[in-house]
Amino acid sequence: MADNNSMNIYEKEAEEMTAMRKITKQNKFERTEGGFINLTFDGVTYERVKVVRLFPFTDANKYISIRQNDDKAREIGIIEDMDELDDDTRSMLEEQLRLNYFTPVIEKIHNIKDEYGYAYFHVKTDKGECKFAINMASNAVTKLSDSRLIITDLDENRFEIRDVNALTQKERRKLDLFL
Amino acid sequence: MKDNKLTANIIENIKQYHITEQDILSVCPIDISAEGEYILGYTFLTKEYIGVCTSTVPENYTHYFRGTKVHSKKEEEDFAEYSVTLYDLKKMEHLHVERAIGAVSVTAEYDDESTRIASLSNTYLEQMNLFVRHAKNIKKGKDLDADIPVKEAEEENEEDLYCPICGTMYPDATKKICPKCTNKSTIFMRVLKYFFRYKFQIAILFLTYAVFAVVGIAWPYLSGTVLFDKVLENDPEFLQRFGLGGKYILALGLLALVMVGCRVITMVTDMVQMSLMAKIATSTVRDIKSDVFSAMSRLSLNFFTSKQTGGLMTRVISDSSRVTDFFIDGIPSIIIQGVTIIITFAVMYRLNWKMALIACILLPLLVFMTIKLRPGLWSLSGKRHRAEKAVSSKANDNLTGARVVKAFGQEDAELERFVRPNNNLKEAEINIVKLRNRFTILYNLVQEISSIWIWIIGVFFVLKTHEIELGVLITFVGYVSQLNGPMNFFSRVFRMWTESINAAQRLFEIIDSIPEIAEKENSVRLIKPRGEIELENVTFGYTVSKNVLKGINLKVKEGEMLGIVGRSGAGKSTLVNLISRLYDVKEGSIKIDGTDVKDLSLADLRKNVAMVSQDTYIFMGSVAKNIAYGNEGASREEIIRAAKLASAHDFISKMPDGYDTIIGASGKDLSGGERQRISIARAILANPKILILDEATASVDTETEKAIQNSLKYLVKGRTTLSIAHRLSTLRDADRLIVIDRGRIVEEGTHDELDKIEDGIFHKLNELQNKSLSVSSF
Repeated sequence: MADNNSMNIYEKEAEEMTAMRKITKQNKFERTEGGFINLTFDGVTYERVKVVRLFPFTDANKYISIRQNDDKAREIGIIEDMDELDDDTRSMLEEQLRLNYFTPVIEKIHNIKDEYGYAYFHVKTDKGECKFAINMASNAVTKLSDSRLIITDLDENRFEIRDVNALTQKERRKLDLFL
Repeated sequence: MKDNKLTANIIENIKQYHITEQDILSVCPIDISAEGEYILGYTFLTKEYIGVCTSTVPENYTHYFRGTKVHSKKEEEDFAEYSVTLYDLKKMEHLHVERAIGAVSVTAEYDDESTRIASLSNTYLEQMNLFVRHAKNIKKGKDLDADIPVKEAEEENEEDLYCPICGTMYPDATKKICPKCTNKSTIFMRVLKYFFRYKFQIAILFLTYAVFAVVGIAWPYLSGTVLFDKVLENDPEFLQRFGLGGKYILALGLLALVMVGCRVITMVTDMVQMSLMAKIATSTVRDIKSDVFSAMSRLSLNFFTSKQTGGLMTRVISDSSRVTDFFIDGIPSIIIQGVTIIITFAVMYRLNWKMALIACILLPLLVFMTIKLRPGLWSLSGKRHRAEKAVSSKANDNLTGARVVKAFGQEDAELERFVRPNNNLKEAEINIVKLRNRFTILYNLVQEISSIWIWIIGVFFVLKTHEIELGVLITFVGYVSQLNGPMNFFSRVFRMWTESINAAQRLFEIIDSIPEIAEKENSVRLIKPRGEIELENVTFGYTVSKNVLKGINLKVKEGEMLGIVGRSGAGKSTLVNLISRLYDVKEGSIKIDGTDVKDLSLADLRKNVAMVSQDTYIFMGSVAKNIAYGNEGASREEIIRAAKLASAHDFISKMPDGYDTIIGASGKDLSGGERQRISIARAILANPKILILDEATASVDTETEKAIQNSLKYLVKGRTTLSIAHRLSTLRDADRLIVIDRGRIVEEGTHDELDKIEDGIFHKLNELQNKSLSVSSF
C-alpha cells in the first residue's frame, strides 16, 4: 500500500514536471521603473522575470519561456505566440528580448581580410558600421542554414547574416571562405 | 579591450556635479542602450557615486571590436554630448554583471528597485567585471584593488595591446602576435628551417636540377644548329675545331653519341632526383607532424573541446604534406627554371636577336594572366580546405555515433546529411579544376600561337631574306617549346606557394598556440606529498560568461576521504578537473600541501594525482600495457596485483590471450564495467597520493560494484581521496561529504549529519534513492 502511494507521488511529480503552463493575454505583465518586467501569474507576482526564446533562430516569436529571476531560473510559463498578446505587452517583451538577444544584422560587407589565423570584417549592420575580427581556427561562423550565418567575434559578440543570397555577388565572394 | 580614461569632454561635463578628474577611481566604457542600440558611453566610479554617461553615436560612426582598432598617437576628440546619470553608492545593493546572449547588463537594487544600470557588448565584459569589483570594494570601504587577483588588477600599458609595427590591436593580448604583420615571408622562412636539417641532400638535389638545365639548354642546340647547320652541312670550320676535319661520318657518330649520352644523363639524374625528393619530403613531413603532435599534446583540454577533432586530423595529416610540396618541388624549380629561361633567352639572343624578340612578344600576356588569376586560386584553395574539413568532421561525427545512428535506424538520413558536405567538396574541387583548366587552356593557346608565330616568321626569314638557316630555325622552335615547361611551371608555382603557405600557416597556428596550462619556471617539486588539498575562493567557468564554480572554499586533510554529491551539471567533475589542473582556476587558488598547483611541476602533480573518471579511455595495446599506462616500469607481479585489487584479474584471465590481449580501438571490445576496472587498476598501479574517483563505479553492476568497493577501500587507505558518486551508498565510507549545487558548496558534513537536514538536498536525494530501491525490489 505504501509503495502504491509513493508510485502515485511519482506519477504526480512527473505530471507536474511535464505540464506546459501557458501564459496568455489574461496574465498581466508590468514594466518596472528599473527597466524590467513583472508578471502576475496564478495570483503570484514574479518580479523582473527573465524572457527566454526557446527557438531563437527558427521561431523567434513563438515559444517564449518566462522564468523567475533567481539562480534556479524556474519556468513560470510559456507564451506560445507573441502575436496573440496585446501590443503593449508585446512591445514590453520585445524590449527585453532586443537587449538579451542583441545581434546586429549584417546588411553590407565592405571587406573581409584573411590574415594568419584571423579574419577581419568591415561591415554595415542595422546598428551601424562595425569592424570586428574572428578567429579562423575556432568555429566562429555557424551555419544555421545554407544561407543564414551567425558570426561570433573574439569576445563572443554575435553578428548575423540573415540571407547570404540577398548580398551582392561581390560580397558573397568575400564570404566565400566561410560558405 | 582597455579604454580606461574618460574623455576631456566628459570630465568637463561632470564638473557641474562637483566631480573632478582626481575623483575618478575606475572607468569602463559601455556601448549599448536599454533600447538595444549602439551608443557611446562610459561608467565611472567615485567614492560616492557610480556615474553613467551616454550619448547617441554620431553619423557614420564605426564600432571597433577587439583586434580591429588601430592605435593612434593623439587622443581622438570627443564632441558628443553626454547625458549623465549618477547612482548613489549608499543606495545601491547587489551590484552585479549579468550576461545575456548578445549583451551584458549591469544591474543592481537601487532604492529597493531592481534597476538596469548599463548595458554593454561582450567586448567590455572583462573590464566591467573589474569595474564592478572596484565599486563593491569602495562601497565596503576597502581598498580599490582589494581581493582582486594581481593579474586582473594590473593596468596593462595601453601601448602593449597594439602591434608596434602597424598599430593594430592584437587579437589576443596574451600572445602579442599581429596577424597582419606575420606576413607570408616569415612563415616561409620558418618552413625553410625544417629543410635545413637536410642540407646535404638538398645540395645534391640542386645539382641534379642544374644538370637538367644544362642538358636542356644544350639539347636544342645539338639537335638543331649543330646537327643541321654544322654536321649535316659538313661545315669544315666547325669540324676543324674539333679536329674532325673531313671525317664527316665520325663527326656524325660522335654527335649521336653525345646526344645519347645527354639522354642517359637525364635519366640517371631523374632517378637520383626522384629518390632524393621522396626522402627529403617524407622526412620533413615527419618532422612537422611530430612538432604539431607534440604541440597538441602540450595544449590544454580547452583546445580540443573548442575544435572539431575531424578538423584537427585533416590539419596534421594533409597539411603537413601539403606544406612540403612547394618547398621540394617548387623552390629548386623556381631557381633552375628561372635560370633556364634566362639562359635560353641569352642563347636565342646570341643566335638571332630579331627572332628572339619576336619569340618574346607574347610573354607579357602570360605574366598578366598569372597575376590576374592568382587571387582566385588563393580563395578557392582555402575553400576546398574548409570543405574537406567539413567532410571529415561529418564522417567522424557519424562514425563515432554509429551506435545511435543504427539504434534509430537513421543510416539513410545520415547518408543524406553526408551528401551535402560531400557535394560541397566536389564543387570546390571542380571549381578549382575549372579555374585551373581555364588558365591552362588560355596558357597553352598563347604558347601555341607563339610557336606558330615563330614558324611563320622563321620560314619567312629562311626563304625570303636568307637571314637564318634551317638549323637555327629548328633550334629556335626547340627553345621556344622548351620555354613552355618553365612558363607552365611558373603558372603552377603560385598555386603550390598558396597551398603550401596556407597549410603552413594552419600548422604554425597549432605549434604557436600557447598552452593555457603551462609549467612555471622554477616550478616546485612535489616529492613525498602529504596529500593535503585546500581550495580558496575558487571560481571557474569554461566560458567567460558562465561560471560553473563560484567561490568554493574547501579543505581536505591528509588521508581523508571526501565524498562529493550533487545533481548532474552541478560542477562536481569540474571541481576535480581543477585539482588535477586540467584547467586553471579563474579566481582563487588551489593548493596541495600548501603550494599553489600553478607553481607545482606538472609532471609531479600528475604523478601524484590520479583520476578514475566516468569516461574511461582504453588505448590501443595489450591489457598489461593499458594497466601500466603512465607507469612503464611496473613488473608483471605489480600489474597482476593491481588487476586483482580492481577485480579485473578474473575476467582478464578468462580472455584467451590473458594479459597480452590486445584491446582498444583495433582490438577486443570490452564492456563498460571491464573498461572501468582496467582504469581502476591503472590508478592503483600509479599509486598516487591523491586519488580522484569520478563516478568510478557508474557503469558496473551491483555485484561488481561491491567487489570494486572493497578494493577501493584498500585503495583509499593512506591516500587523500575525492569521490564523486550518484549512488549515495557508494559514499558510505567517506569521512565527510559535501553537496555541490549550482557551483556552490551548500551542505557539508558526515553522511548522518547531512541526512538530518530535512529540507537539504542530500536528504532528498537519499530518500529518493532509498525509495526507488524499495520500488525496484518490489
